[in-house]
Amino acid sequence: MAYTEEELKKELETKEYEYGFYTDIESDTLPKGLNEDIVIAISKKKNEPEWMTEWRLEAFRAWQEMEEPEWANVTYKKPNFQDISYYSAPNKKPKYNSLDEVDPELLDTFKKLGISIDEQKKLAGVAVDIVMDSVSVATTFKKTLAEKGIIFCSISEAIQEHPELVKKHLGTVVPKKDNFYAALNSAVFSDGSFCYIPKGVRCPMELSTYFRINQAGTGQFERTLVVADEGSYVSYLEGCTAPSRDENQLHAAVVELIAMDDAEIKYSTVQNWFPGDKEGKGGVFNFVTKRGLCEKNAKISWTQVETGSAVTWKYPSCVLKGDNSIGEFYSIAVTNNFQQADTGTKMIHLGKNTKSTIISKGISAGQSQNSYRGLVQVSSRADNARNFSQCDSLLMGNRCGAHTFPYIEVKNKSAQIEHEATTSKIGEDQIFYCNQRGIDTEKAIALIVNGFSKEVLNKLPMEFAVEAQKLLEISLEGSVG
Amino acid sequence: MDLKEKLVSSFLAFEDGLDLDNPVHEVRSAAIKNFEEKGFPSKKEEAWKYTSLNSIQKVDFSIFPKKETALEYKDIKKYFLHEIDTYKIVFVDGVYSSYLSETTHDGVDVCLMSSAFSKPMFRQVIEVYFNKAASKDESLTSLNTAFSKEGAYIYIPKNKMPKKPIQILHLATGNEAALMLQPRNLVVAEDNAEVQIIERHQSLTDNEVFTNSVTEIFAGKDAIVDYYKVQNDASTASLVDNTYISQKDSSVVRVHTFSLGGKLIRNNLNFYQNGERIDSTLKGVTILGDKQHVDHHTLVHHAQPNCESHQDYKGIFGDSSTGVFNGKIIVDKIAQKTDAFQQNNNILLSDKATINSKPQLEIFADDVKCSHGCTIGQLDEDALFYLRSRGIPQKEAKALLMYAFANNVLESVRIPELKARINKLIADKLGVRVGFDL
Amino acid sequence: MLEIKNLHANIDDKEILKGIDLKVNAGEVHAIMGPNGSGKSTLASVIAGKEEFEVEEGSIILEGEDLEELSPEERAHKGIFLSFQYPVEIPGVSVTNFVKTAINESRKARGLEDMPANEMLKMIREKSELLEMDRKFLSRSLNEGFSGGEKKRNEIFQMAMMEPKLAILDETDSGLDIDALRIVANGVNKLRNKDNAIVVITHYQRLLEYIVPDYVHVLYNGKIVKSGTKELALELEEKGYDWLKQEATV
Repeated sequence: MAYTEEELKKELETKEYEYGFYTDIESDTLPKGLNEDIVIAISKKKNEPEWMTEWRLEAFRAWQEMEEPEWANVTYKKPNFQDISYYSAPNKKPKYNSLDEVDPELLDTFKKLGISIDEQKKLAGVAVDIVMDSVSVATTFKKTLAEKGIIFCSISEAIQEHPELVKKHLGTVVPKKDNFYAALNSAVFSDGSFCYIPKGVRCPMELSTYFRINQAGTGQFERTLVVADEGSYVSYLEGCTAPSRDENQLHAAVVELIAMDDAEIKYSTVQNWFPGDKEGKGGVFNFVTKRGLCEKNAKISWTQVETGSAVTWKYPSCVLKGDNSIGEFYSIAVTNNFQQADTGTKMIHLGKNTKSTIISKGISAGQSQNSYRGLVQVSSRADNARNFSQCDSLLMGNRCGAHTFPYIEVKNKSAQIEHEATTSKIGEDQIFYCNQRGIDTEKAIALIVNGFSKEVLNKLPMEFAVEAQKLLEISLEGSVG
Repeated sequence: MDLKEKLVSSFLAFEDGLDLDNPVHEVRSAAIKNFEEKGFPSKKEEAWKYTSLNSIQKVDFSIFPKKETALEYKDIKKYFLHEIDTYKIVFVDGVYSSYLSETTHDGVDVCLMSSAFSKPMFRQVIEVYFNKAASKDESLTSLNTAFSKEGAYIYIPKNKMPKKPIQILHLATGNEAALMLQPRNLVVAEDNAEVQIIERHQSLTDNEVFTNSVTEIFAGKDAIVDYYKVQNDASTASLVDNTYISQKDSSVVRVHTFSLGGKLIRNNLNFYQNGERIDSTLKGVTILGDKQHVDHHTLVHHAQPNCESHQDYKGIFGDSSTGVFNGKIIVDKIAQKTDAFQQNNNILLSDKATINSKPQLEIFADDVKCSHGCTIGQLDEDALFYLRSRGIPQKEAKALLMYAFANNVLESVRIPELKARINKLIADKLGVRVGFDL
Repeated sequence: MLEIKNLHANIDDKEILKGIDLKVNAGEVHAIMGPNGSGKSTLASVIAGKEEFEVEEGSIILEGEDLEELSPEERAHKGIFLSFQYPVEIPGVSVTNFVKTAINESRKARGLEDMPANEMLKMIREKSELLEMDRKFLSRSLNEGFSGGEKKRNEIFQMAMMEPKLAILDETDSGLDIDALRIVANGVNKLRNKDNAIVVITHYQRLLEYIVPDYVHVLYNGKIVKSGTKELALELEEKGYDWLKQEATV
């Protein structure tokens, strides 16, 4: 992996959250609060068909009956769901033909995010959909994709243009009543991305979505649906940022992946929502439901680098329904200062000869709490299921905590399950060794942490891996003294 | 009337026969209040996610056995480790049997909780230790505390060691259609003392028995305590076994649990390390068939620096049995240089069998070595083939491999006769005669 | 090049070095011998700047500059290299990545640009051949699962890459079989030149048959009790250290 030393140096000097800027764009925001009228209003604003409105209302009614879950190893002041605005769109709703038409301030935002569309186009060949607050503002590379029959657009657009696909798949992997946050999302989601890869097509480029919360007092509830038809392949990237604000912002997304027979989906996330300041003030509450369904011989691979958010509650999962299907979960979760993360995965083995791999690396620093929570479930009909799990924790300092809560439930005698967990720290002798070779302590820590995380970093697409590496270093700034 | 109501309403009658001026009275009253509030744990609670007590609560248990039953030693000899000389504390339907027991006050006290509660000479020990390690919060422990009256009382003063191991045997005769027992044991090994204890619960008929047992063990500085739990009860007997262990500097406590028989067993084994250089060992072999259900719930709380803990649980599950392992290691902020190790290996023999394993770590100190491993798998096919190619029939070869699988847990058993006995129990359970030395 | 004057050093208030004087000129190879616990490894660690040790008195001067205030990495940037007796494992960090980081950090400290990738690659190839190292070895995690010999070879490989002014080899011969010893010594000899200096710390004379020293010093109880030429090493091999101990206590 190439290091750009100067860049690193510069970033090591800037201790504050570097994406904490606010874009001054006029927004069209619904009044705060949530009731059936608001749900209907959201649906109306988006000009949705009646079935969609009805779907949302059903979810809303279910949500009202549900309670916010408390089992996770996190403590926070519960959001007041009536004090959140559930819809905020940049005012000049853009339908751009070229980048020139985009609001220059918005473009500037993208540049600050380090994802200048120009650059992305030229360098990486990544098709990007950017969701800012609630609305998808730009999808590049649409044409190139369309030639292959690939649909990559905002979910709102998909509801208008491809209602049959959305209707068929939406809520099939994460039912609208699945859990408290998923139900909330189903009722009020304002935008997100939709992706369909036709039979036998290998998506020629990485598809990417960037999510950003901008407006104060808004929640972000995006919905992502990726359908990979038989024998197709797609690699999907997701990046998240939010400006630094004093109050907590709520993010409750739902991601559904469907990998049909012989299809493969690789879903990578670099999550860098604002984690709150050094005193633990502000930051994003990240309550996300991500789940993928694997049909026969299909494969879903989740890779995540989680460095942001004040509170994270997230378990990207695989339902291995089809025979010979494969689920993978590679995760790095870094917590510093007062961050709390309760994250992991669920691997549900239903089909025969299904395989899953879980590699989780937790790094805790400051006064943070970092928990791995995972479920490996083998049903009685899932013959020859295989799972390997490895959960490693690295503790930096003596005020943080590392927790491991694996659940293993097996009902089939031919299953082979292996779970390992270790806890370690960065040794003083390791630091001295690096120092002796001319590497200063800060750099030495970065090097050791990168080494610790390597198995996961290696799973990320190249351009994401570099960004992830930088993020790791930034988020551990000043954690060892 | 459900079981909870029955228990709560029986409390007054229970206390009626006891000395209300005794300080233990207040402990009991507080405990029954806690149980009344919490009731029996349900599957909704995380700690009871995989074990349900619903069926037990439907049974109309007798809480106070009506009469004493005499048993002849020859009829129950096989439940003792009779090959060696031991002290014996024997209870028949919850009532102490002086005829079958052999207690002592010769330098050490091996006797009864009922005497310890009532006699002034034991009062100080009761005040210092009774209900000090046991949870005041956990409802079934509270239930036992509320009804604490009888059980084994073992007190080993400083630098002492009893002349021989101690056996605690709880027998149920079947005189009641359904019997609930709540033994309460207290084991205190003062500084540099040493003791070996074997405990067994045995129902002699097919009548239903439910035992809710609490044992508190205190190990002083440099003390060594070995505690062996032999769980090979009748198929109508259920057991909730709560053990709380509090250790001081440089003490060693080893608890071995052999779960082979019984209907439903829940072991709550809790270690609290209140000193430095402590060594805690928790080992278990579980071999189940039929519809048996065994749930091992362990906790090791590392609260001081430089301590070790070793956990090793092996399980073999056949038929429609269910095994649960829930092991938790907590390392406090100040418990630097902790070395905590936990291993749970399981073999499933049937597609109707289930294993739920939840090995947990909660670490708050950075300079520690903590690891856990959990595997679920089958017998090694290559090894099986190797044995068969040497002429060992498949069934025996499998038994041999299963024996080998469980064997390293037996290595740390320090009473050779007990080790041999457990070996035999395992062979019986596996349903084979293995052609090697047991 | 290196001048140590009246060096006293403690660990946990226990005095280990009790007044060391040593002068090493460019182009020289010095051997420091002595029985176990005499302070040999402490001396190496103190020169490299390990913070556990407190320097109570005296000074270490490298090319006219007092090292006292310098951190271990700054000393490394000035050209001090310590080959560790027990090299540390860093999981997930490849040998190549580690060496690249080390070299570029030192270059940065000297105001130089990063070494161009092709140049680095060429150098890695050259130096790994010098130490007869398998190329696969370079992509393995640093010292993780390495044999004793591989660890030591890796240390000398890093020395070759970093081209230090002053290399201190702390018990580099321990844990080496005869072939590995020959390879390592051969590597060290090829790195010797008129501008650098090498301090070899060893318990046995064996290594000195391959790396021939200009001077030999005997460290005992925190002091240099005898200095001489390479013949002294042979004498020690023959007589052991006891006669020196007696001499020192008289």
